[in-house]
Amino acid sequence: MVDMPAPNPQRIVLPPHRERARRPRIVRLREWVKRNLFHSRMGTLLTVVTAAVGALLLYGIIYFVFVDANWRVITDNRWLLFAGGYPMDQEWRLWFSVSFVFLLIGMTYGTWASLGRRDHVFIVLVSGFAILLLAHGGAALWSTLWYLIAIGLLYVGYAITIRMPREAGPRRTLQQRIVTGLLIAALPIVLIVLLAFGGARPRELDGFVLNLVLAPVGIAGGLVLAIPLALGRASRMKAISWTCTTYIEVVRGAPLLGWLFVALFILDDVIGGELIVRAMVVLAVFTAAYMAEYIRGALQALPHGQGEAAHAIGLSQLQSTQLIVMPQALRISIPPMVGQAISIWKDTTLVTVILPLRELKGNADSAIAQFEFTPDRIEAYVFVAVVFWVVAFIMSRISQRVEGSLGIGER
Amino acid sequence: MAVAAGSAPPPPSNVPLLYRRGVRRLLTQGIYVAITAVVIGYIYTSLDLREFGFGFLDEPAAFKVGNQWLVDVDGVTNSRLTMYLVGVWSSLRAVMVAIALSTVLGVLIGVARLSSNWLVAQMAMLYVEIFRNTPLLVQVVLVYTVLLVGAPLIENVFNVGDFFFVSNRGMAIPWPVPDSGFWGAPEWFVWVWVAVLLLFAAAAQRVRANRQELERDTGQPHYANRWALALFAVGALVSFFALGAPVSMDLPMIVGTHYIEGMVMEPEFTALVAGLTLYTSAFIAEIVRGGIQALPKGQSEAANAVGLSGYQRLTLVILPQALRQIIPSVTNQYLNINKNSSLAYAVLYDDLFRVANIVQNKAGHALEMFFVIIVTYMLISFAISMVMNFFNARVTAQRI
Amino acid sequence: MKRMRFSLLAIGLVAMLALVAVACGGDNGDGDGASAGNTVQTVKDRGELKCGVKQTQPLFGFREADGTVVGFDIEFCKAIAAAVLKDHTKVEYVDASDASTRFELLAEEEIDVLIRTTTITASRDRELAVDFAQTTFFTGQGFAVRTDSGINSTSDMGDAIICVQTGTTTEQNVADHFTDIGLEYDPQGGLSADVAAAFFDGRCDVLTADASDLASRIAVRDDAADYKILPQIISKEPLAPGVRDYDSEWKDVVNWIVHGLIRAEEIGITQANVDQMASNPPNTEVARLLGVPFQGGEVAALGFDSVDPQFIQRAIKAVGNYGEIYDRTIGDNIPRACTLNDLVINNSGCPDGQGGIQYALPYR
Repeated sequence: MVDMPAPNPQRIVLPPHRERARRPRIVRLREWVKRNLFHSRMGTLLTVVTAAVGALLLYGIIYFVFVDANWRVITDNRWLLFAGGYPMDQEWRLWFSVSFVFLLIGMTYGTWASLGRRDHVFIVLVSGFAILLLAHGGAALWSTLWYLIAIGLLYVGYAITIRMPREAGPRRTLQQRIVTGLLIAALPIVLIVLLAFGGARPRELDGFVLNLVLAPVGIAGGLVLAIPLALGRASRMKAISWTCTTYIEVVRGAPLLGWLFVALFILDDVIGGELIVRAMVVLAVFTAAYMAEYIRGALQALPHGQGEAAHAIGLSQLQSTQLIVMPQALRISIPPMVGQAISIWKDTTLVTVILPLRELKGNADSAIAQFEFTPDRIEAYVFVAVVFWVVAFIMSRISQRVEGSLGIGER
Repeated sequence: MAVAAGSAPPPPSNVPLLYRRGVRRLLTQGIYVAITAVVIGYIYTSLDLREFGFGFLDEPAAFKVGNQWLVDVDGVTNSRLTMYLVGVWSSLRAVMVAIALSTVLGVLIGVARLSSNWLVAQMAMLYVEIFRNTPLLVQVVLVYTVLLVGAPLIENVFNVGDFFFVSNRGMAIPWPVPDSGFWGAPEWFVWVWVAVLLLFAAAAQRVRANRQELERDTGQPHYANRWALALFAVGALVSFFALGAPVSMDLPMIVGTHYIEGMVMEPEFTALVAGLTLYTSAFIAEIVRGGIQALPKGQSEAANAVGLSGYQRLTLVILPQALRQIIPSVTNQYLNINKNSSLAYAVLYDDLFRVANIVQNKAGHALEMFFVIIVTYMLISFAISMVMNFFNARVTAQRI
Repeated sequence: MKRMRFSLLAIGLVAMLALVAVACGGDNGDGDGASAGNTVQTVKDRGELKCGVKQTQPLFGFREADGTVVGFDIEFCKAIAAAVLKDHTKVEYVDASDASTRFELLAEEEIDVLIRTTTITASRDRELAVDFAQTTFFTGQGFAVRTDSGINSTSDMGDAIICVQTGTTTEQNVADHFTDIGLEYDPQGGLSADVAAAFFDGRCDVLTADASDLASRIAVRDDAADYKILPQIISKEPLAPGVRDYDSEWKDVVNWIVHGLIRAEEIGITQANVDQMASNPPNTEVARLLGVPFQGGEVAALGFDSVDPQFIQRAIKAVGNYGEIYDRTIGDNIPRACTLNDLVINNSGCPDGQGGIQYALPYR
């Protein structure tokens, strides 16, 4: 900008943006740096301070990870952390589920989005992390192999679906229906694989496996309950809207920890059953109240014309809700719903705090109770944080990509 | 089913009774109420209510509660209810501080997310992505562990000028306490002073409004803020000394291995507040960013055009407008802070949830205790909502 | 239209399922209420023992890398399972690490027996829905301090910060004790693993807990020499298995399994020789304890009809006698000779004023 080169008479004069592109890379880089880092005295100061703080943090992290930390507390205890009391001879069921879910992730990406360079980098990083963890001790080879198969399936699913035509048409519709169906069926399938036909009993779900089961059950159950709740709250019938509102507000009024307390002490008189099932019920009931509010918000955001038009072409109230209003409302409410799903994912850690259920964080507490690992508390909790972060990040990333391709949230 | 399948409503005169809209609604609600009543009745009968009652809260507590702030109860003579209220007070303390800190940090990070400085924007994004996607429980526990392991032992306390101490037993800072003044003024004069302060604040507000109006009418600068501030400061100082300086600073000291005097922020409190702040500020940052981005670009450009600096543009043009969209969402986050403060349970901080659990462990009565917990959280939530609604009304009433 | 009917059908189905679930749940709830008081049968019907244990305390109850729960308390769960279900692996270990919810777990039938370093007290016995079997471990409440702290007894602890586990007898004992000696202190409460960690980090001056608990946590540390346990013991803490109130059948079974394991040590029956003893009992007492006939006589069932006469034999076969359990799980970390948990019959060699009090009641 500052000193544009004088136009060379022997050269064809290009439009400014082409001219800029022709300049050597180093000049462009220098310009970018100046524009984005050192554009003013204040900006320079900010850059320097931020860079210093960042460097200090980075140094601290690198020092901790590579010098200070004793990661054996994790590698030695990886079975305890991930599966705990799950029967060890049924390990293949866990890996089978992981592979199936990875395949589905690949197919989802292939159908509604595409894997970008950053996705590949992320997959490679996570795989490196996973293999680093798995490639120790007795069954290292098998675990690593299983993991590689799972990742391979992700790419297989992706490769198959990405080749399909994207234009609207019967084949596209069929593909979308199949993948959607598989996604809906995934939870029951995984539960059957984990629990049925000689698998574990529900209470043997332990460690990270417990988190991975609790969250989807809470989310799916919450969604199923949320739709009638939202419609009920928006209803013009006073009795219905009043009770739904009360339900939503009471549930949202108290912390999840309090509701889990109910699962333990009060719900056993009401519905009975195993504690883990009660915890699932509480998670679903809790999630439903929040999701119902998002759906209600979406219902309110829909133009009145939608419902009126449906009425005008002779649809009944039920048909209008089912065919016109609800699909649109659900679409609008996807972004906050994903936020809620991630929130429930993180909240599954709370079952350890108040209930006698041991999820990843609880088993990390057990790991650091072992004689040799009592000083390694920070390592254990950092690991737990990273694992939760990875899954939450994957959830938000997939939803962003799929939302983007569906055109949700764009105006 | 046949009832619901009716299509466009024909004129009401020749419609059978069952197909009329009002009748159908009444019927639906009747059935609904009946089902709800059955469910509630079922729940009611399945609960064990033989010993239901709140009398157990009046019995002596016989347990101690830590993390007391501005209160001192030993738990020997106090009732369980008193101990519970001490827990409520501890919760409130953490919630209030966390709300203040996460708002400041959240706005800072949210603005930094949109900074033209690439590095700052990237760091802010990193911050949001990290703290938003990890469980709060793990954050709180991790901060607590780091504080215990990382901060110096009390024997090697980090000491700044003998009035500010940091160790893994907490951070001790000076704290104002009521004191008899220099001409023997009684301690309660501090409350007189507080009343006088409020008067001066009202007067300063009045002056400010007047001067702003003058400025609008005449177009001349009348320095409304400076005048108001000066009036308040002078008033506060003069009245402070006129009342005999009824406040003194309580300096912390270390005797043996513990702090006395001053105000001590225990690592449990710090960990809980830090966890809540880190976590919530990431969400607030996203809300602030969304609020700013939703503004038309012209606002920012116009502010540039009239020659406002970056800071002025932000505080005078952008944030006041963005606030309208930000406040409702931020209120939700404040309510979350209130609920999430129950995670104190995991870091040895004696908040209301923990105290309630201790009471429940000693006395049973889980149902009653749960009822008490829910009502308390709802009351706090209600108070937060009230304050924020008032604030929101102020903001939206202002013409921009 | 067709589509809508279908969805109505689906809604109806879901509603019916919900109703059925509620109804079933109701039946279960009522059934539970009616069947309370026969845990032996419940355990047998279920084919599994639900044992409430700690999962974060070294030596007594913690988890190994492969996810299994191990420790002193765990052995008694196995013994009970072996006795009642004839298979010591048929145990579900329910996490009862949190002291403040453990009795609720028992009362709400989440567990059949609570074996997690729980003290017998009169108030628990009366006020809570818990009943106690024979003590498995005798200890008392002690205090751990740093060796260089200069604290030698509780009278040095004025205004000290004391870490104590919430929801325990220790919490109340320390409060009572300091009231008695007229000193103030600053409590720091929480889960036992958490307060112990806080103490070792220097968060508090004193850690108070059962002396065995203190010993278990200090013994396993590299810097064990930096800490000492004061000789002062301010309370009696007999740790015993807890069972639900009003179930004397179940309480008797658990009780006599513990007595049987102690008796086995007294008369020299071990995991290794129990089979041989059973096939060829040297005297009537061994025969009675192991539930086998002596020289072709009758088997003495002693009224344990809900299990069978060999239940103690199976327990010994599964985990060994009391001494073997102690040596295997606690070992030298907490010395046993001439301390409370030694057998009374071994006291002859002990210095004056010392000696064990473990003593099995007569099984006949």
